[in-house]
Amino acid sequence: MSLEAFNHSEPLTLGVELELQLVNTNDYDLAPYADDMLRLMAKTPLPGSVVPEMTNSMIEISTDICHSASEVLGQLTPIRDALVKSADKLNIAVVGGGTHPFQQWHERRIYDKPRFQELSQLYGYLSKQFTIFGQHVHIGCPDADAALLMLHRMSRYIPHFIALSASSPYVQGQDTAFDSARLNSVFAFPLSGRAPCVLTWTEFEQYFNKMTRTGVVKSMKDFYWDIRPKPEFGTIEIRVFDTPLTIERAAALAGFVQSLGAWFLADQPFIPEEDDYLVYTYNRFQACRFGMDAVYVDPATGDHMPLREHILHTMDKIAGHAALQGASSAMHMLRTEVEAGQNDARWLRERQREEQLLAEVSRQAAQRFRGGR
Amino acid sequence: MNEILSFWAQWLRPSAGLPTVQWSLLLAVAAMAGYLTQRHTGLPKVLGYSLVGTAAGLAGFSGAVWPLQGIGLFLLELGIAIVLFECGGRIPLRWFRHNPMVLVQSIAESVLTYFAVYWVLVWLNLPTQVAGPLALVALAASPAVLTRVVADTRAAGPVTERAIVLTTLSTLYALTLGSAKAELINRQSLTLMETVYPVVVVLGVSIIVAAVLALVLRMALRFMSPTSENTSMLFLALVAAGTAVAAHMGGSAPLAALLGGMLLKQLNPRPWAWPRQLGNASSLLTMLMFVLVSTVAAQADWSAPVAGVVLALIAVRLVAKATGVALGNVGSGASWKQALWVGCAMTPMSSIALLIASQFVLASPSTGHVIAGVALPAILLMEVLGAVIATVAIYRAGESSKPWAPLTRGHNGENSRES
Repeated sequence: MSLEAFNHSEPLTLGVELELQLVNTNDYDLAPYADDMLRLMAKTPLPGSVVPEMTNSMIEISTDICHSASEVLGQLTPIRDALVKSADKLNIAVVGGGTHPFQQWHERRIYDKPRFQELSQLYGYLSKQFTIFGQHVHIGCPDADAALLMLHRMSRYIPHFIALSASSPYVQGQDTAFDSARLNSVFAFPLSGRAPCVLTWTEFEQYFNKMTRTGVVKSMKDFYWDIRPKPEFGTIEIRVFDTPLTIERAAALAGFVQSLGAWFLADQPFIPEEDDYLVYTYNRFQACRFGMDAVYVDPATGDHMPLREHILHTMDKIAGHAALQGASSAMHMLRTEVEAGQNDARWLRERQREEQLLAEVSRQAAQRFRGGR
Repeated sequence: MNEILSFWAQWLRPSAGLPTVQWSLLLAVAAMAGYLTQRHTGLPKVLGYSLVGTAAGLAGFSGAVWPLQGIGLFLLELGIAIVLFECGGRIPLRWFRHNPMVLVQSIAESVLTYFAVYWVLVWLNLPTQVAGPLALVALAASPAVLTRVVADTRAAGPVTERAIVLTTLSTLYALTLGSAKAELINRQSLTLMETVYPVVVVLGVSIIVAAVLALVLRMALRFMSPTSENTSMLFLALVAAGTAVAAHMGGSAPLAALLGGMLLKQLNPRPWAWPRQLGNASSLLTMLMFVLVSTVAAQADWSAPVAGVVLALIAVRLVAKATGVALGNVGSGASWKQALWVGCAMTPMSSIALLIASQFVLASPSTGHVIAGVALPAILLMEVLGAVIATVAIYRAGESSKPWAPLTRGHNGENSRES
């Protein structure tokens, strides 16, 4: 199969996907209600879409094409409200977060859809361990070459995205000591991690053709990269975000991505190169492990600095572009949290310290998702 | 069998008495039967327990007296109370505000079951004072069987949850009306006030006991972890005390436990992690309950006319419950297929039905004898058959987290192990 052509999209447009947890209201463990939620959600006219995910305790919502963070929030709000209403009707709850804190992967059931069944056959237990929840942000690119340039520029900010969205400190009932343990599960898949550093679509096509010739890859879907091109949408798709606990944070993160993209397109601030990736895995690990307290190694200068400082420095640099994109309030929200060293992982740990019961943490997270606190 | 037991009694002088030895050995056999049933057929362990109890009852085992009284009655009530307290805690009242059709489903299936069974029994020439109580016995589904089936199949999902809730609610109605009806069984020409009064007493006393139980536990949960072993022991001790007190004061112990669970869920919406800690003590009590029910139920007198009435009762009950669930299904958020499986999962009849029948026998030995003549075989049959139907329903609804054991044995050692 050859690589499909890179379609046109309006530059800097946004699309957001959120994978969400469905839990029961008795012990707040994951509950297999995806079919029922889809059936109920189909009755409400909404923007975007609601689709099943790998296991039947997960659901994925997505927006239509949006032009700003506030439009993203404007679309996510009615979808969230409809989700909450449907969940109330079924006596379940919807929760954000990158992992369910205490679910047992072996109890999960693969959603009955051919692709998920095929993946389950291929990946075995990894597919059930893939009961993790991420946010994907698509950003429109002017053309295919610009998309690859945008992709590799964005790669320098992967640690920023991870630290800002981290919400998966607990796995199988244990504190992993990571702020984002979710990405460790993604790493188990072949073809995960970074995309090859090619900056033209012609080169990328050659790479794709070589990969398909090996038989390892059939389509772009087989790449589990942190950022991958999405030719059919004319976008690049950033996949390292944990699903935040609120849709407000999800929209703000999309605003951050858009502001960065606007800066790249307007100022062409640097040309990515293979050497950027020398520190990529280290920076990624630091962000996953320590979140806001991570160390960031600048790929260009080799300088070590607190990631928090670099995020604030980046925010200062792109503030003008954020204002032009209508993302100032989104940036303000993120900045306040960064200055306080706060992210969702920290909130979850604080709740657990207080409650000493992960199920109660999930219940409070469900309240937060519905806008309760 | 009685000769063997009397022979034992001559030379064995155990410290806790011979019945303790007999029951302990019976439970040991039941435990093995439960294990083997699940290991080799994939059917729930309760089936093995019930079969051992049935065999003991048919063989004339004298360890369980009918009508139930004394320690046997207390243990049965305690077992039911523990199950019902937990089931009550699975019913958040706010759900009915968001989805009133679930309540409609529950009321429809209960009303339909009561009247359908009543009319069919009257049509079969049973006197109305027998048909009425039997219809109340038929009303009660069995949360105990269903929750054991759910545990054995490791089930979760919309059918499982809704079946547990509807089963618990039907139990609530059956216990309230059954206990009140037992009070009225010997009275003639009642005024409305005289009819309602026993219902108010049963409910009132049960609510008071439930409130005390819920408030004490609510207070304890303010400073005790729900995952602590001590919290579980506190719960067990309090339910046992409530069980001993409720019936004595004119209420119903299982009803008090059920209402206590519902009340605690309202007062304390935090997750219920602590029932998991109850562990083997609760499982042993539940097993004893199943063995006791089947041992007693197997002592019924069987005859062809009785068999006909029993089969008619069971058939009408099955249809009425399924129809009631289907009637209220519109707009309840469940598919028609799910409604069918919910109806099937509600078919078991066990300890609560036996308890209600026992109340009728104690209240009026003459009428009660006729009631028990039909109720006991029906309970026995539906404890076993109902468990099988509920298991099939859960597997067919796709809500078991493991495949049917016999189909996978040999391919996957994990699945063949006891859960």
